[in-house]
Amino acid sequence: MLKDKRADYLTALILGGPFLLIYGALFLWPTIQMVIISFTDAPLIGDGEWVGFKNYIKVLKGRLFSKAVWNTGYFVVLTVIPSTLISLAVAMAVSRLKGWKQALVMAAFFLPYILPVSVVFLTWNWMIDMQYGMIQYVVRLFNDGEAIALTRNLPFFMPTVAVVTIWWTLGFNVLLFIAGLGNISPEIYEAAALDNASRWRQFTRITWPLIWPITALVLTLQLIAQLKIFDQVFLFSLGGRQDATMVLVQYIYKLAFQQNKGGMAATVAVLLFAMIIILSVLQYQLLRSRGKK
Amino acid sequence: MKSLFRLALVSSTVLAMSVNAFAQETVVWWDFLGGGDGVRMKALIEEFNTEHEGDIQIDGTTLEWGSPFYSKLQTSAAVGQGPDVATYHLSRIPLAVSSGTLAEITDADLQTAGLADSDYSAAAISASKVDGARYAIPFDVHAYILYYNRELLGEAGMLGDDGLPTGLDGLENFEAALAKFTNGDMFGISFPTPDRFRLVYSYFGQMGGTMYDPKDGFFPGDNVDKLTTATATIARWSENGWTPTQIEYAASLAMFVSKKTPFHINGNWEVPTFTDLKSKGELFEWGAIQLPVLFDQPASWSDSHAFVIPQNAGVEQTAEKRAAVLKVIGWMNQHSLAWADAGHLPAFNEVRESEGFAALKPQSDYASLAATAIFDPRTILAGPAAPLGDAWTNYIVPGTTGELTPEEAATEMRDDLNDQL
Repeated sequence: MLKDKRADYLTALILGGPFLLIYGALFLWPTIQMVIISFTDAPLIGDGEWVGFKNYIKVLKGRLFSKAVWNTGYFVVLTVIPSTLISLAVAMAVSRLKGWKQALVMAAFFLPYILPVSVVFLTWNWMIDMQYGMIQYVVRLFNDGEAIALTRNLPFFMPTVAVVTIWWTLGFNVLLFIAGLGNISPEIYEAAALDNASRWRQFTRITWPLIWPITALVLTLQLIAQLKIFDQVFLFSLGGRQDATMVLVQYIYKLAFQQNKGGMAATVAVLLFAMIIILSVLQYQLLRSRGKK
Repeated sequence: MKSLFRLALVSSTVLAMSVNAFAQETVVWWDFLGGGDGVRMKALIEEFNTEHEGDIQIDGTTLEWGSPFYSKLQTSAAVGQGPDVATYHLSRIPLAVSSGTLAEITDADLQTAGLADSDYSAAAISASKVDGARYAIPFDVHAYILYYNRELLGEAGMLGDDGLPTGLDGLENFEAALAKFTNGDMFGISFPTPDRFRLVYSYFGQMGGTMYDPKDGFFPGDNVDKLTTATATIARWSENGWTPTQIEYAASLAMFVSKKTPFHINGNWEVPTFTDLKSKGELFEWGAIQLPVLFDQPASWSDSHAFVIPQNAGVEQTAEKRAAVLKVIGWMNQHSLAWADAGHLPAFNEVRESEGFAALKPQSDYASLAATAIFDPRTILAGPAAPLGDAWTNYIVPGTTGELTPEEAATEMRDDLNDQL
């Protein structure tokens, strides 16, 4: 028996070892490095002197950090729940279709998701262009015939980028929801229909509770993705008021690559890392416990 | 015996070939020239390669302008993977030197390149040095200029006998012209909103403003008032509807090309765009001149493309390689007339003062700006993709579009930059 167990350990080591090694070298070690660098005044490249908590004090007191936290939070509010609800609605509509029609519509919704962010940015930037963009025809209807520079006016900036982001990433969530909806046994709906349950009642009593685990997953994935928002916000704010629309990852980029302050950039990265862990664990636990009731 | 002989023949041929390969130096070159000027630079590189076949070959790569280029150059040099030669903005040299990205270029190096300080303007030479040490060799001066539609100005009777626009000097005259052309869907002038700060800086310079003083910091004394006035001027043009308040780069060009405005202000790097359109028969008669003087003295925002040799950590550049790099730099300067074709003013005096350059239109019409060109101040905060550039777009551009008042914009910019010193 003892011998067998030892052989098991060996097998486990052989099978899990390479993963542990790669995980340690490519994830754990850099993460530890990041924490260490955040306590030094290192430039982008090279070592720095140990400065204790000086970077943390400087970052937390700085105007830009609180601005970036606020903007990131605002962006999360604008995208996470709306995107999840819209995806669910689209998925329910698509799942009613059958055969090639479903495949076609699903492909149409999924198509934007495979585009790189640069293409998404250029396409939308042209569509919302103040002089030539076709979205402006809609804007003019609601603004006394006047066009609005949607990404150059602070109040419109985040909502515009949020809409683009939802359009872009919707497809993946729809896919998850369709898979989830397919797992709900049609017999439950048949039974409900026999009992004369209305569609709304079917949704609130059957679909919503049974799809909840997927909803919780989508919400958590969305939360993590949107807390790490950078590309779209950065691209749309190029040439604009970047400080006013700064988000956290962008702030890290600015400190590290534009200002050559590796230590301070690592500090912001550590703070963002902590925020994401705390928020996503909290959210997932909260959603799971709610789902159980 | 015969086969042995053949073997010897083959091996000696291989040997000869490899010796030949050793004699040829490959110079790895990085630039950020992606526009109409990039096409001309590639032609220059090709010409160099054909002329120096078997001796020196340039292996050129074009990267994205701005932050991507500069961060890549800095990080790759730090791990010894940088190029042998790169283009750089002179305004950003102090920042590059502070981060240890650049190798010093000695007087002996300059001689090897066949160049001397006296081949350039004093301003360009001083901009290429930090604390007396040279880190760059200037290549061109590029600046903000005024493009005009010759047909529209002719109809309005605003062309002089020399065929150049008249009556544009002085703030009142210039604004009167803008007002005159504004009508229906016509605008008096177009320029890209995100780049408005370059115009503000030009007018700030026309008022004789000093942006930075090593002792007193940014915008000392009444310089902040001059900045306010310059910002307020552009804000007024927007408010009066003489220029679109929000317009992106490409759209502002399109407006000029589609005759929706007689004037366009932009960098001279758009000259090839218009030249190419004209030669295809898709553009009207056009020209370009130095920015008219609206305030006390001529001045135009400008910067300079230069060549630098990155300091590749842990890699010793061989004497042969360095000589090849310097030869490339020297050759490019001597052949910069082709670069002037891209709208830039050659930094190399001999070319800029040549007959060939005088014959280039509209380049020679605005070449006079070089004498009064204003560069970014000498500080590590200056240059594209640097804190100064950020401050311009964060404060001054909103100051011209009505999002901030010009006073707020100017004082906030001053305070923000002084905080970063």
